[in-house]
Amino acid sequence: MMKKLCRYLSPLLIAALVLGSLPVAAAPANPGSGLVTTQDALSVERAQGDRERIHEILARDDVQDQLVAQGVDPAEVEARVAALSDAEAAQMADQLEQLPAGASVVGALFAVFVILLVTDILGLTNVFPFTR
Amino acid sequence: MMHCRDRQPHTRNARAAGVLALVLLLLTLAGCAATPQLAETTERELPRKALLEDTPFHGQRDYQCGPASLAMVLNASGVPVEVDTLIPQVFLPGREGSVQPEMLGTVRRHGRIPFRIDGNLDALLTEIDAGHPVVVMQNLSLPAWPVWHYAVAIGFDLEEETLILHSGMEPERIESFKRFDATWARSDRWAFVALPPGELPATTDAQAALDAIADFERVQGAKAALPAWEALVGRHPGAAMGHFALGNARHASGDSQGAIEAFEDAVKADPELAVAWLNLGLLHRERGEGDQAREALKRAAALPGPWQEQAREALNAP
Repeated sequence: MMKKLCRYLSPLLIAALVLGSLPVAAAPANPGSGLVTTQDALSVERAQGDRERIHEILARDDVQDQLVAQGVDPAEVEARVAALSDAEAAQMADQLEQLPAGASVVGALFAVFVILLVTDILGLTNVFPFTR
Repeated sequence: MMHCRDRQPHTRNARAAGVLALVLLLLTLAGCAATPQLAETTERELPRKALLEDTPFHGQRDYQCGPASLAMVLNASGVPVEVDTLIPQVFLPGREGSVQPEMLGTVRRHGRIPFRIDGNLDALLTEIDAGHPVVVMQNLSLPAWPVWHYAVAIGFDLEEETLILHSGMEPERIESFKRFDATWARSDRWAFVALPPGELPATTDAQAALDAIADFERVQGAKAALPAWEALVGRHPGAAMGHFALGNARHASGDSQGAIEAFEDAVKADPELAVAWLNLGLLHRERGEGDQAREALKRAAALPGPWQEQAREALNAP
């Protein structure tokens, strides 16, 4: 029963998703001319699948929500997301939590302190300024 | 007695083995961080010393090495932006830091093109020699307890094997190649330069530059990207996609004759580039040049691939 339902429902959902995102995917960068844009040409030449492109386009909404959740001023969020390339937006949407964030402050325990001190002296790390 | 005598050499062996293991461990660790070797050509072509003295220094506050590093490279490329302006644009309060995609995005917002450079010391030093300060990402600590950090590489000394960086609170910090490379390697040697449209990095290939400029154009528009495309085809005249992109940018800026020429250069560089034939045909048609339009569209329609369908439709349209 469930399987049957899924069999009918899935194609419908896929179709709805694809159709819903088509206007965005097909929107020309310079309206008024029918020329193929550089960005479209590049993604097609890369043989990027439609699914992947749609994913990248939908990713931007995701990233907006995530940035707000991370404490970014909502007034800034839109401009920040707009500055990302499609691939970067997709990367942010998929793995914001895992992306390294440059910050440079150590919040480590004493054991870690000792290990890092040794590796610092060995020239493997650079946590403490005085080990140079 | 027997027992003890028997045991003594045994203990000594164990101690020796332990010391040996420790020494081996340290040697392996140190081996991982051997001083990186430059390619012979780099060694020959670079000056012994270089320092980009014009790169201003901004000390970081709290966790804000990202905005500080951005301010330094943007200032150096002629954008007079302040760290305080950049903080709300790139800093992520929830992560107490700044992530790589947004570092690149923020450069685009300020009208500069971020070019990722190859992850090796040769590319890094070559860019510095070309006058481009380089933002690098380091993990100053070990992978298990990462301390991610952005800094700006502004100089080097080949004799001393040292790199000079504006880093954290310290302007012109001197770091050995060995230590720097060990900390840089943990970010997969992530680095980029921020250049005004029209300037290209000294080291990136045509494909990487093409992608970087196309991403910039999507944010800032064709007019802003135009000088970058001109520079790209000047550097790589054989890059058909570069000519194609230049044609699009010229067309969007209202230079339709220039666009025709660029599309013609594109198909000259690569007669198989169907999308360039297609745009050439569509543009000829827009200008009312029917014969030339048909000629180009025919070429596009004859090439199998993703543009064939569109070219056929355009050819059959009145």
